Amino acid sequence: MNGKPIDDSELRDLMTRYQRADAAALDELVRRVSPLLLRYFACTRISPQDADDLLQDCWIRIHRSRHTYRSSEPMMPWIYAIARHTRLDAYRKRRRMEAREVLVAGVPEVLHQAAPDTAPEESGFDRLIADLPESQRETLVMLKVAGMSLEEVAGATSSTVGAVKQRAHRAYETLRRALRKGRGDGGLSH
Amino acid sequence: MAGYPTEAELERRLDAWAEADPIEARAELQRELSRALGASLKLVKPLPSNRALVLQFLLAFAACAAVVIAILDKVGIHAMTVAQVGGMTAILASGGVFFSLDLVSRMIPGNRIELPFLFGLALVLLGVAAAIALLFPWRMPAAFVAEGWPCAVLELAIAIPAAAMAWAMARRGALFASPGLGAALLAPAVCLALMADQAQCMFLQAPHLLLWHGGTAAGLIAAGAVIGRIMTRRRSL
Repeated sequence: MNGKPIDDSELRDLMTRYQRADAAALDELVRRVSPLLLRYFACTRISPQDADDLLQDCWIRIHRSRHTYRSSEPMMPWIYAIARHTRLDAYRKRRRMEAREVLVAGVPEVLHQAAPDTAPEESGFDRLIADLPESQRETLVMLKVAGMSLEEVAGATSSTVGAVKQRAHRAYETLRRALRKGRGDGGLSH
Repeated sequence: MAGYPTEAELERRLDAWAEADPIEARAELQRELSRALGASLKLVKPLPSNRALVLQFLLAFAACAAVVIAILDKVGIHAMTVAQVGGMTAILASGGVFFSLDLVSRMIPGNRIELPFLFGLALVLLGVAAAIALLFPWRMPAAFVAEGWPCAVLELAIAIPAAAMAWAMARRGALFASPGLGAALLAPAVCLALMADQAQCMFLQAPHLLLWHGGTAAGLIAAGAVIGRIMTRRRSL
């Protein structure tokens, strides 16, 4: 597994200070955690604008529920659980809006479908990751990008360790198959 | 197997992907976030430990059960055998503990789930059904509907306020609307209502208990899931 990009104990300390209304700790948390959240949101092929909107929504939720964080617990599962629900609610909202658009106006185009002209350019391996089913992709992001343990991912995704292992295994299998077929060669340039 | 990527090759690519340049939030957006959140920044008191929260739920439900049973007619308790009282109390109390644990785990984002809710729910409902089927006689009551519906109404009358109390206690956390949350809020309330209903019911036949007590309980939990689903849809509007 990848090493943790941010020391969790530092984040816990910042969060505790944030709970005590320390504005400097809030600034530092926003600076440190936002890139991780953006990476999490952006791996679903959404436009940078939509990723920014999700980031703002997520921070509002973090702010409102900051009293539910306990310094004895790891910080990343708490953050990612909120981020995950932010993304799920946005997804549901988008689906409902799309359904309404079809019913009312009969327009077949979907409202927020991936905007290739505005989405960041993807390498071959990024494309393979983006093609994974949602649950497998978010499991990989949490395990590899955030460096969370299986137990922590299970907490963040409200599932069991066994289910996380299974999703990671399936993601690996899918990636292996895709690489064997010769897709994802762009990823070699990493 | 020529060309088949090895585990090390896949790991190398995944590591390279994970270590790719982070996506920095725009500086302007970060400033805007800090300013907006900082405007409402105030001291907050973290929630107590999971153990303390579970204890609060259990004490509240135990106190409610004691008050409701004290108010109601206790003919059921007097009519039941020790095995019947013990069996039903043990299963319903276990259900109350499991559902309180589940509710607390839903209050804190990132909490690990030890036992999936649906699995636990199935265990409790099956336990109740098995206890009724094994401990009570299989005799069809003379007036099945006339004797049954008052029990169902009483169960509703106890479970709904108890669920409201559970909601009032749980909303201190960060609850995410979902069908599971709706069912989890109703489930401990239903255990409490079943216990009270059982204590005052004089019709101690398995068919009556299974349908009018157990059936109402299952229906209430299902209704909680439907309400949770509606709330999820409203939230995403």
